[in-house]
Amino acid sequence: MIATIIGWSLICVGILFGVVGNVGVLIFPDVYTRLQASATCATTATLSVIIGCAFLVELGPMTGKLIVIGLFFLVSSPVSSHIIGRYAWKREMVPWRRAWDERGDVE
Amino acid sequence: MRFAGARRRWKLVRIVITAFYLSIGWVLFSGSFTVFSIVAGLFFSLTVAVLTYDAFIDESESSRRALLPSLHWGGVYVVYLLFRVYVSSFRVMVLVFRRTMDPRIVHFRTRLRSDVARVALATSITLTPGTITLELDDDHLIVHWLDSRTGHSKHAARAISGGMERYLRRIWV
Repeated sequence: MIATIIGWSLICVGILFGVVGNVGVLIFPDVYTRLQASATCATTATLSVIIGCAFLVELGPMTGKLIVIGLFFLVSSPVSSHIIGRYAWKREMVPWRRAWDERGDVE
Repeated sequence: MRFAGARRRWKLVRIVITAFYLSIGWVLFSGSFTVFSIVAGLFFSLTVAVLTYDAFIDESESSRRALLPSLHWGGVYVVYLLFRVYVSSFRVMVLVFRRTMDPRIVHFRTRLRSDVARVALATSITLTPGTITLELDDDHLIVHWLDSRTGHSKHAARAISGGMERYLRRIWV
């Protein structure tokens, strides 16, 4: 019962992050920031759904398979966003910066 | 040829380590523990290991800890990484709605020695929402940081990869 509730709420969190990531891809200004939004969408949404499924199935071989899938996903998921970002960096694209007087940092 | 015996022994060790990792994968994916399954798994992992050990483990990679990482710290690291991923996901979600991000490119160096550990660090930085590794050149990382708080490379390194680097040093030294 509790496992079912945790599983479904994790899947709902995954849906939420997927929607937010797509909104971010639409409203962010340049390629790097859009890439950040899409990477958030991809990793966190998919991870949440995988962990939620691990809570929903009964404890057994399927749980182990889901854990292995999650670990492989942890290894392979960042590669695509890294390659896109590296290509943009090699093409000497200048990243978008906030205007100087709007920055909130203390250097 | 000098060290021929040592080379032959190192080749055997590499084959055994590759077969060990392959048979773990076999057990996890087949999910059955019958005698036939285990024997067939061992046979085929040994066959594949004899064919591919040179691609898995380079001959010069002879430090023991790079091949057999301490797995208990690996488990701790995965939990810590999931925690970091969720915390920074919520930060990115807030940034999407409030649009107060201040993206910046930061350069810093890592103190990790082995190549596997450096790749693991770069992958973890990319996996964490809000930071993407653009380039990894030996120990020099170029990172795009969505919500940057400082341009000082030492403080940026501590904020982005401080905790991860501490755990990775325990896994691979």
